[in-house]
Amino acid sequence: MRLFEATHVFKHDWETVSLANWRKYPNEQTPHVRHVEILNQDVDPVTGVLRTERLIMVRQNVPMLVRKIFGGDTSYVLEYSEVDPRKQTLVMQSQNMTYSNLLSVGEYITYTPDPENSKHTLFTQSAQLKASGALCRFANKIEDICWNRFQDNAHIGKLGLEQVVSKILAERQAMTMPLAQTASD
Amino acid sequence: MESIDAKCTPLKREYDECFNKWYSEKFLDGKESSDCTALFKTYQKCLRQALKEKGLTKMIDDARPAIGSVFANYNDDNKVEDNE
Repeated sequence: MRLFEATHVFKHDWETVSLANWRKYPNEQTPHVRHVEILNQDVDPVTGVLRTERLIMVRQNVPMLVRKIFGGDTSYVLEYSEVDPRKQTLVMQSQNMTYSNLLSVGEYITYTPDPENSKHTLFTQSAQLKASGALCRFANKIEDICWNRFQDNAHIGKLGLEQVVSKILAERQAMTMPLAQTASD
Repeated sequence: MESIDAKCTPLKREYDECFNKWYSEKFLDGKESSDCTALFKTYQKCLRQALKEKGLTKMIDDARPAIGSVFANYNDDNKVEDNE
């Protein structure tokens, strides 16, 4: 079994980063994420929390060993998230569905304002990856390969989100510019 | 981004656009009731048909407990509709 933990500070406010989460795909950094569908989405009338369930389809090149044992390079992931706009928290939990009898990958992510700077956003990520005993002597090797891939994807995922945040900020800038020009006339 | 079924792509894009606007302009400002309900229903009708055709509904139902999802299973749909 492999355990992964990471934290990162996005130097942007929580509202912008949480919006970027919803607009993250597609982006150039993460071409392996092919489809993202909203399966369910509502706002809890009592707590005001936005609850969302998403289906994510991933396809990427994998080593021959993985392709042979798993029988493919495409997988579906289920993700559940909650956004509390009053407390400013975004919490996400996801689990692979495809090949789950051979490999289990579970991920937990949070976005909250950075306690050290309320204009920034603290991102925490923890994940657990475990190959099934049914893989016998391949279990360790499969865990190694998938583990390395998970870390690579985690890195480009953050780059992708930064790119989307930049895009959102550029859009806001473009919307305010005509007003600024009129003011200076 | 394309939907898993090309028929649903325009419906998905319309909903995504509405949602992103509502999220940034209303939800984060405390106006929590969604503007996009009708668009969501249309997108969902198409998507659920696609999920059934692709044989994905059982896989999704089985995975819900592991991620703490509050949503009803596709196979419980009849029960949910009776309660409404």
